[in-house]
Amino acid sequence: MSSWTGKVREFGLRNLPPERLFPDSQPAYMTSAIYLFGALTIGSLVVIIASGSILALKGPAWWHVQSIGHFFNSIHLWSVELFFFFMVIHLWGKFWMAAWRGGRARVWITGAVTFIIAIPCAFTGYVSQQNFDSQWIATQGKDGLNSLGVGAFFNPLNFGQMYSFHVLLFPVLVIGLVSLHILLVRRHGIVPPIPLADSVGPVTAKR
Amino acid sequence: MALVREIFLMVSSIINLNGTPHYVHWHFFLMSVPNVVVIVLMFVVFGAALFLRAPGSKRPGRHK
Amino acid sequence: MMRVRLSNAELNDAASHYDGPYRPYDIIKEVCVATGVVTLIALLLTIFLSSPDLPPTTIQTWSRQMPADFVTTAVAELDGSSDTAGYGPPYNHASSGQHVFFIYLEKWLGVSHPVNSAYDFVIAPLRAIPDDPSLQAAVTHYVHAPATEQAAWTGAYSTALAKASSNPKGAVALPAGNYGPVAPMMSSLLALAQSGGLDGALLTSKQFYQTDYTKPLLFMEDGSALSNRATYQHLQGTQWGMMNETGSYPGQVWLWLYTFWYQVPPFTTSEADNADAFVMAVMGLLSAAFVLLPFLPGIRTIPRRIPVYKLIWRDWYATDGAASAPPPPAPKRAPRVAKLRQAS
Repeated sequence: MSSWTGKVREFGLRNLPPERLFPDSQPAYMTSAIYLFGALTIGSLVVIIASGSILALKGPAWWHVQSIGHFFNSIHLWSVELFFFFMVIHLWGKFWMAAWRGGRARVWITGAVTFIIAIPCAFTGYVSQQNFDSQWIATQGKDGLNSLGVGAFFNPLNFGQMYSFHVLLFPVLVIGLVSLHILLVRRHGIVPPIPLADSVGPVTAKR
Repeated sequence: MALVREIFLMVSSIINLNGTPHYVHWHFFLMSVPNVVVIVLMFVVFGAALFLRAPGSKRPGRHK
Repeated sequence: MMRVRLSNAELNDAASHYDGPYRPYDIIKEVCVATGVVTLIALLLTIFLSSPDLPPTTIQTWSRQMPADFVTTAVAELDGSSDTAGYGPPYNHASSGQHVFFIYLEKWLGVSHPVNSAYDFVIAPLRAIPDDPSLQAAVTHYVHAPATEQAAWTGAYSTALAKASSNPKGAVALPAGNYGPVAPMMSSLLALAQSGGLDGALLTSKQFYQTDYTKPLLFMEDGSALSNRATYQHLQGTQWGMMNETGSYPGQVWLWLYTFWYQVPPFTTSEADNADAFVMAVMGLLSAAFVLLPFLPGIRTIPRRIPVYKLIWRDWYATDGAASAPPPPAPKRAPRVAKLRQAS
C-alpha cells in the first residue's frame, strides 16, 4: 500500500478496528462505580461546550443584560465546576489503579496534560466575564505571567485576546487532547487489575 | 414566559450566595466555606465510588 | 496464595493483555446517560444557586466614590512612584523584574507592552481635552520644567493630599501650597474621570475598535478601588484569594496548591520579591512530575504499597475471574529447564 490515504487507513484499522472503537462488551473486572467518572467528565465537557456555544452566539455582553443569558452563564459556570469535580475523582481512581501499566503511559500523559490545559482554559473564561471578578483575576494573574516574561504575549488585561483564547484556541486544544486520550483508551483497553499475588511491602519471596 | 421568569427569580432567590462570605480559618489555612464543601464532597464521593458498584454490575458468583 | 514481588516489567507485561471474561456494555448509552445526569445537576445548581455577577469598577465610579484616592494615584503615576511606573518589563525599564536564581525571564523577554505612566495616564488624556487653553498651558509648563522642579511640585502635592478633604461635589480640597501646574492638572483630570471621559480616553489607541484594557486596569490597580473590593471578598493573595470567588460561590478550587505556596516561607519571606516567579517554577516542576508520573520510581509504586485497588477490584478477586486470569510471569529459569527437557 503506497498511497498516504491507504497507509492512514491501514494504521487506523490496525490500531482501532471497529469492534475496539465501538465495543459492546467490557472486561468483567469493571464493576466499581469509580469507572463512571471518565464518562461523567466527558458529559460535563459536552454541557460546557453546549452552554458556551450559546453564550458565544449572543456575544459577551448578553448575560449581563438578559436573565436568560444569566441562566446559560450559570449552567456554563456549574458545568465547569462539575467538569473539574468529576475529572479529579477520575484521576484519583486511575492513580490508585496504577492505570499507566501495560503500555498505557500515554493514556496517563494525555489525561494529565488535559487537566493542566483545562486550568488556563478556565482562567481565560474567568477574565472574559467583563465584571469585577474578571478585573481582579486579570490584574492579579498578570503578575504570574509577567514573571515568566510572557505577559505581553498572553495578556490577561487584553479582553479581545483572552476571549479568543477562551472561545476557540483552548477548547480546540482540550477537545483534541480528550479525543486523543479516549482513542488511546480504546486502543489499549481498560487496564486489568493488579495481580493479587503482587506484594510491594513485606517480601515473602523475591524473583 | 413572564410567569416562568417570575418563578425562576423566586426560586433563585431562595438561596442567595451573593451575601457576606464565610471562611474556615486555622493558623495560616484560610479557605471559603463553599470551597471546603466542594473539597469535602469530592472525598466523600470518591470514597462512596470505591465501595459502590456501577449500575448493571452484579455481585460475585451471579455472572459467568 | 504466595505473594511475590513483581518487577515493574513483569507488572507491565501482565497488564498488556487480557484474555478473561467480558460482559455486555453499551458505550454510547453510557456517555449519553452521563451527559444527561450532568445536565440535570447543572440545571438544579443553576436554578437554586445562579452565578455571581458583581458589576465592574470603572474609573468614573472610582473617582466619584474615592476622589482623594484617585488623585493620589494620578500624582503617583505622574511622578513615577506608582506600582506600574516601577514595575519593569513588560511595561517599562524601571526594574529588572522577577527572577529565579540566575534566570531573568522577565528581563530577557523585555519591554514588549510599553506603558509610560506619566504620559499615558495623565499627560495624554489632559492633552485631548479641547477648548481649555489655561489647562494646556499648565500641561506645557509641567512638561518643559526641569525634573527637580517637577519633583518638588508633585512632592508638595502628595504631602498635602494626606490632609485633603473631599467636598460633596466630589472635588478634592487641599491646603494652600506651591504645587505649580500640578493642581490645575489634577483637578481637570478628576473632572474628566468623574464625567466618564477618562475610561474612554485610556482605552483609545490608533484604532477605532478597542479590546485591550491594559491601561485602565493598570491605573485602577495602582489605586485602592479594586483592592478594597477584593479584600472584602477575600480575594487577596494573602487570603488564599486565588481559589476564592465573590460572595459565597465556590471558586477555582483546583488552584489550591498554586495559592498555597503564597502563604508559606520562603515565598513570604526571603523570596517575597520574586514570589510569582518562584511559585511558577515550583508549579512547573510539579506539573512535569505529574505528567511523567508513570516513569517516577517510588511514586509509581504508591498504588501497590497502599492497596486501594483491593477495594476497587474486590468483586474480581472474589470470583473465578481472578483464577482464570493469566498467572504472574513464570520464573526466569523456567525456559532453560523447558529447553533441557525438550532436548532430552
